[in-house]
Amino acid sequence: MNKRILIVDDSFYMRTMLKNMLTDAGYEVVGEAANGAQALEMATSTEPDLITLDVILPDNTGLDVLKNLRQIQPSAKVVMCSAVGQEIIVNEAIENGALAYIVKPFSEEKVLEIVGAALQNGASEQTA
Amino acid sequence: MAEIDTAFSSAKPERAKPAELVQLIVFRLGDEDYGIRIEQVKEVTVTPDVARMPKTPPFIKGIANLRGDIIAIIDLEERFNLRPAGRPLPERSYTVAVEAADYTLGLMVREVPRPLTMPLSQIEAAPEFVQDSSTRDKYLEGIAKLPEGGIIIVLDMRKLLTPSEVMRLPGKVASS
Amino acid sequence: MKTRDQEYRELFMAEALEYYDSMSRHLSELERNPNAGPALNELFRLMHNLKANARAMGFTDLGEIAHHLETIFGLIRDKEREFSGALIKVVFAGVDALGSMIRAVGASQPLPDATALLENLDRVVRGEAPVLDEAEAGETEEESNRKMELSDLVYIQVKKLDNLLNLVGELVIDRDRIMTLAQELDNPALLATAQHLFRISDDLQYSVMDARLVGVGVLLNKFPRVVRDVASAEDKEVELTLSGQDVQIDRNILQIITDALLHLVRNAVSHGLETTENRLKAGKPVVGKLTLSAMTERDDVLLQVRDDGRGIDTEAVRRKAVERGLTTAHTAAGLDKEAVWAFLFEPGFSMAQKVTDISGRGVGLDVVKLALDSLGGQLRVDSEMGVGTTFTLVLPTSIAVKGALLVEVDERPYAIPLMHTDTVLALHPGQISVVGGVMVTHLHEQSVPLVPLRQLLYDEGVEPLPAANKSDIEGTQHVLVVNYNNRRLGLVVDRFMRQQNIVIKPLSKPLDTIDLFGGVTLLGSGQVCLVLDVPALTRLFLAKRP
Repeated sequence: MNKRILIVDDSFYMRTMLKNMLTDAGYEVVGEAANGAQALEMATSTEPDLITLDVILPDNTGLDVLKNLRQIQPSAKVVMCSAVGQEIIVNEAIENGALAYIVKPFSEEKVLEIVGAALQNGASEQTA
Repeated sequence: MAEIDTAFSSAKPERAKPAELVQLIVFRLGDEDYGIRIEQVKEVTVTPDVARMPKTPPFIKGIANLRGDIIAIIDLEERFNLRPAGRPLPERSYTVAVEAADYTLGLMVREVPRPLTMPLSQIEAAPEFVQDSSTRDKYLEGIAKLPEGGIIIVLDMRKLLTPSEVMRLPGKVASS
Repeated sequence: MKTRDQEYRELFMAEALEYYDSMSRHLSELERNPNAGPALNELFRLMHNLKANARAMGFTDLGEIAHHLETIFGLIRDKEREFSGALIKVVFAGVDALGSMIRAVGASQPLPDATALLENLDRVVRGEAPVLDEAEAGETEEESNRKMELSDLVYIQVKKLDNLLNLVGELVIDRDRIMTLAQELDNPALLATAQHLFRISDDLQYSVMDARLVGVGVLLNKFPRVVRDVASAEDKEVELTLSGQDVQIDRNILQIITDALLHLVRNAVSHGLETTENRLKAGKPVVGKLTLSAMTERDDVLLQVRDDGRGIDTEAVRRKAVERGLTTAHTAAGLDKEAVWAFLFEPGFSMAQKVTDISGRGVGLDVVKLALDSLGGQLRVDSEMGVGTTFTLVLPTSIAVKGALLVEVDERPYAIPLMHTDTVLALHPGQISVVGGVMVTHLHEQSVPLVPLRQLLYDEGVEPLPAANKSDIEGTQHVLVVNYNNRRLGLVVDRFMRQQNIVIKPLSKPLDTIDLFGGVTLLGSGQVCLVLDVPALTRLFLAKRP
C-alpha cells in the first residue's frame, strides 16, 4: 500500500509542487486542502497517513488546525511546512505534536527525506 | 433548510446565551416520535419513485432521484423493528433527506415531519442501561421530554449513517 | 508539450497576480482603517506565500521584498509599528515593485532592480526613517493608470467540472423528454424550439466535455521515475520512450486508468523484459526498450505499452488456464492465441513464478481489465515470442455518454452498456436444453448458458441458484446475450425496451460497494434505471451456477 498523504497549503502553486514531488516518489496524495476547515474535513474523510500542514492559513492559523487535527485524527502524522521567519510558530507546532518541519522553498530530496522519516519513525523529531 | 456552519472553527465569539436552543425535525416511526437535529437534515419531501436495489438489506427500500442526486431510501421502522405487525406502509410517505459525512440518505417516514425548537437542556442523554438494550438505542443522542407531556427520541444521524451501519447484512439485523 | 517548469511558472504567475490584486484591495482598506485586523492578517499571509513561492521559483529579489513586507505587516499587527506616514509610502512602493516584478516574470523580462527599495524596507523594519525621493511618487501615479491585468487561466476543481457534467447529463435527459413530448404533441412551434434546444444542449455537452480534457502527458510524464525505480530494483537496464503526450482525454478517465497503466508498466519491466544475461544470450541489445505512447483512433484514445522483451508464452498460459480449471484441456487445445491471452486478465491469474516486490502484489493483470471495464474500454494484446509484447488500452475520450440497451424485469428498467452486448434472441422452449441444472442454448455452434436476470439480481445469499427445470420453461424467452472477456452469457429478461444513449451517474456512498451496478441513469420519464455491470454479473453467475 502506498502511504496516503493530505496536503494543506493555501497556495495552489505550493500544493502542486508538493503533490508532484510526493506522487513522483510513489506516495498517494489523497487530498489538497486550502484552508483549515477543508483540512479538517478532508482529514476526517480521507484518513491520511501523513499531513503536510502550512503554518499560515487563511481561516485559522496552522497551529489551531494542528490542534484540532490531533484531536480528530490522532493517528495521522503531521509535518509542518513554512517559509523562514515563522520559527516561533513551528516550535509551538512541534510541542503540539507535529513531527517535523519543512522549510520553504524546499528541495525534493529534503521533502522526501523528511516525509519518509516521519512516516517510518513517528516518534523522532527532526527539522530541516 | 437552514445553513448551519458545521466547520470546526476554533474561535467562536463567546456570548452569554440565555439558553441554547436546538431545532429538531420530528417524525413518527411505529408509535413513537423521533427527532433529528435540523442541521443534519437537508430537506423533507414526498417520497419519490423508488427503484428496488438488489443485494441490499431489506430495510433499504431502494434508490431514488432527489433533485439529480441518487440516494438510498431507508425504512427505519423496518431497521429497528418498530412497525407493528400487519400495518402496511402508507400509499404516500415522506422522505427526510439527511446528510452523512459525504453522502445523503433518505429516511422514509409515514407522516409529514414537523420542526420543533426546544432548549438543549430539555434533551437528556440516554441513560447507560438503555444504551445496549436494543439496536435503536445505540444511535440515540438523548430523549427530550416535552412540557405538555410525551417524549421525543433524538437520533444521532452521524452514528446511524456510517457505511457499515447502512450496509449491514440482513441476517445480522434480524438477530440483534 | 508543457514541461513541468512551464506549468509551475504558469501557476506561479496566476497565483502571484491574484495575490497582487488582493494586496491592493487590503491596502486600501488599511488606508481607511489602519488597525483593520483581518486586512493585516491577509496581507501578512499573502506576503508570506508570495515570498515562499518566489523563492521556490528562484526570484530572489521578489522574495526579499515580500519577506520584508511580511515582517512589516507582522510588526504593524503586533502594534510595534503604525501604518502611517513614511511607512505607508515605502509599503506602497514595495507593493508596486512586486506588481512590476510579477509582470516582468509574466513577460519573461529581467526583473527591475530593487536595491534602493530593499534598503528602505530594511530601514522601516529596523525602525529607522526611510529615504524618500520625489521620483517614487511619480511612479505610484503611473501605477494607477496602468490597466489592470487578470490571468487568462482559471484553476477549477475537478469536482466542479464533475458537477457541471452531471448537470449537462440531466439537461440532456430532459431535452430528450421534451423532444419526445414535442413529437407526440406535433406542434410545429414547440418542435422547432425543441430542436433548437437539442442543438444547443449538444454544443453545451461538447463544451463541458472539452473543458475536462487534459493532455495524456500529465500521466505519462510520471513514468520515467517509475521505470527507473523498477528497473533498478530488478537490476535491468531500460530505455523508456514517451510519445503522444499531447493527446487529449477526459481527466477522470486518466485518473481511473492510472493504476492499470502503472501495473502494465511494472509488469513489462519485471516480467516482459528479460534479464541482462538472458538478453545477451538471445542476441538482443542489453538495454531493454519500453515505449509508452498515446494516439487517437476515431473517437477513442489508444494508450500503448510496448516492450521488446520475451513475449507471451502462449503454450504456458494455455497449460496454466487448464491447471487453474478455467477451461478444459480439450477446449483449450482449440483456442487461438488471442483467446488464450484473454486468460491473463482473469482474476488471480498470474504467470509470475515468484512474488516479487514490484509486480507480485497479489494482483494480476485483472486490475487492468477491471479499470477498462469500468470505463467501457477495451484491451488489445499483441505479442510474439522473443520479440516483445504490446498492450493497447482502448479508451473513450469522454465518459459522458454511452450506448445502452434497456431491458425490463418485474416492471423495472435496467440498462446494459452496448459495449458488452452481443445479440438479442427470442427463444422457444424447444431451443433451450438443460444441462446440469443450467439452461443452455446454441448460438453459432457454441453453447451459451442462460440465466434469468431476476434470479441473478434478487436471489440472496451465496448458495447456488436453483437448478433449472425443462418443464418450467414456458413461452418465448427473451434473452440478451452479453459478452465479457470472450465468455458469453444469456440473460433472460421480461422484455426488451429500446436502445438509447445514456448518461451514467456513479452510485454514491454507501451503495457504491455493490459491484453489480456500474451506476444509474435517469430515463426521459424521470425513472431511475440501474446500469448493470456485465463483468460483475458474469462473475456472479460463475460463482453461483447450479
